[in-house]
Amino acid sequence: MLRRIFLPSILIVLAYGFWISPDFKEISAGVAIFLFGMISLEEGFKAFSGGTLERILQKSTNKLYKSIGFGFVTTAIMQSSSLVSVLTISFIGAGLIGLTQGIGIILGANIGTTTGAWLMAGFGLKVKISAYAMPMLVFGVILIFQKAKSLKGIGYILTGLGFLFLGIHYMKEGFEAFKNTIDLASFAVDGFKGLMIFIGIGVLATVVMQSSHATIVLILAALAVGQITYENALALTIGANIGTTITAIIGSLSSNIDGKRLAAAHFIFNVVTATIAVLLMDQMIVSVDAISDFLGIANDNHTLKLAVFDSLFKIIGVLMFIPFVDKLVKFLQTKLKPSAVSEAKSFDTVKYLNDSVLETSMTAMAAIKKETKHLYDNAFEIITHGLNIKRSNILSDMPLEEVVKDSYSQSAIDIDDFYHHKIKGIYGEIIDFSTKAQSQMAHEEIKELYKIKLANKDIVEAVKDTKHLQKNLVKYSKSTNTHIKSEYNSMRKDLAELLRTINLIAMSDQEDEILLLLSKAKVHTERYDIIANGKLDNLIRNRLISNEMATSLMNDSGYAYNISANLIAMAEIIYVTDNSEMIIEEEEVKEILNQKDEQ
Amino acid sequence: MSVKKFITDVKNYLGLDDFKKSGKKKSIKRLLEKLKARKEILDKTPRKNLNKKELKALKEEQAIITLQIKKGEKILDELNAESHKDSKKLKGEKNGKK
Repeated sequence: MLRRIFLPSILIVLAYGFWISPDFKEISAGVAIFLFGMISLEEGFKAFSGGTLERILQKSTNKLYKSIGFGFVTTAIMQSSSLVSVLTISFIGAGLIGLTQGIGIILGANIGTTTGAWLMAGFGLKVKISAYAMPMLVFGVILIFQKAKSLKGIGYILTGLGFLFLGIHYMKEGFEAFKNTIDLASFAVDGFKGLMIFIGIGVLATVVMQSSHATIVLILAALAVGQITYENALALTIGANIGTTITAIIGSLSSNIDGKRLAAAHFIFNVVTATIAVLLMDQMIVSVDAISDFLGIANDNHTLKLAVFDSLFKIIGVLMFIPFVDKLVKFLQTKLKPSAVSEAKSFDTVKYLNDSVLETSMTAMAAIKKETKHLYDNAFEIITHGLNIKRSNILSDMPLEEVVKDSYSQSAIDIDDFYHHKIKGIYGEIIDFSTKAQSQMAHEEIKELYKIKLANKDIVEAVKDTKHLQKNLVKYSKSTNTHIKSEYNSMRKDLAELLRTINLIAMSDQEDEILLLLSKAKVHTERYDIIANGKLDNLIRNRLISNEMATSLMNDSGYAYNISANLIAMAEIIYVTDNSEMIIEEEEVKEILNQKDEQ
Repeated sequence: MSVKKFITDVKNYLGLDDFKKSGKKKSIKRLLEKLKARKEILDKTPRKNLNKKELKALKEEQAIITLQIKKGEKILDELNAESHKDSKKLKGEKNGKK
């Protein structure tokens, strides 16, 4: 209801304002152009986020101080803490960085936003900034029309900067003209009451504009022409800092639980910092005066002093929070929990796929890959139980002969039921999400995505084949015929070995080890194929098993072979990042097997 | 000069395509070093203390690594040949212009 009223009310108020005051129209146009500039700037930086930004982010966030540094630098360059917050949420959503690193980036971004106030106060208000805007807009628009992604990106950045400068120009002009008709400074309120009122206005303005940057620029423009008092400007700045958390909160609504926790951390940080600034306002003002004196800023240069205040209160906030980041993470993890899902046969859902990771193609790809690994984890559970083996034994160092002896259950498990609860939903979501993500991907990325989709299909096929295999496996692994029993148990053993190998591959970060394990798995799969190695023929010829047993064994060894082949194909796609051409191929597997035979 | 040709010339001049190839070469070289080190360890492993099963596994691993080293060296040779061809082509184009 409120939402429905909110937008028309704002439009009506604005229209009325434009009608009665052309200067108000100029200021509002300035804000609108400034915001459009920010959108364009964000668009431009997104063009470069298809790899470079992400790689830097992953490498430079492994320590808290690095995360803070990263947040500061990226926000200072991109002049948008909102873009950095949204990207951070997207990275957390894709599971690429943890909550601690995310909080570090947000803390850094908070300090990074202060560079905007310095630029505006030190440069934007003194120089005829619109003179720079025009060529930027012209060059920018020309570049936007180019086909190359990077040129387009530069075009958007130039256009963005052009619009930012033009917006600042209109705000400045508007306030100067406004001064001749109405003196807003006469509405100034002193004392604590004034502080609270202007903090409220700052919050509201930032929520409406969705940008603390725009609010601070507006405050500086008004302050420069004396339309607001210095004290009220300080309060507005504090308000803008609280209001900015709304962007992160909105961004986190579509994210996973860690994204929501990050938005909560951002909110807690900004509100606590603001509270401290309010409580220590007098001391802050004294400190700002002292720092300004030290920096040689004139006593009446309120715009630069506001930039000092903005920096001081944000830096104090960050320094205060650093020792408590781990505690904050723990607090958020206990207070904000994912919706409870009961164990065992509950419907498992996706962990990494959410709209926030669609922000960049790289995060979308990473999330789909992680989700595929999640799907494999579930498949691993079903396959081990289907083979009547305990998962914990596979993950241990227990000799495989003993792993096979230590059964999981006395009867067959309902694989259909497991499939329905732990595979089908996730698989469907992965395919659906991939289709969505594909629309923003380049040709090469679509090819990679196609392979990941194939890996998902391989997993599903392996589960389905386990279902077919399970029926006779339970029956014959208890048979009184030692030959058939031994064959089915060695089938279980071979598959257990493969599952253990894949687990080792998943845990390893050594490329040579991964390639060697995968190649070995391929050789073993071929070697254990009892149809190819003549073992089945031997059993039939010597009448060691009945005809019925022989057909079952023939079919089931086919299923076992398919499970192995599918799981190996999946592991090749999911766990081999570079140099996949080094994995040995079918012909080479035969070559190795022949070498062995000769030996 | 068409835009496409201009971009190709700039790419050649800055060696941007080579950058991609040299990255791949480096990655293969690094992997080859690791594989060779692994093979050396396997070759030096005393066989006397191994049982039949362990010996079989060792030989299998040796065979796989030998094959992978061969594959890696072949890929590296191909990459080197390609770079050589590209630089020759570039030199030829420059001489032609002169």
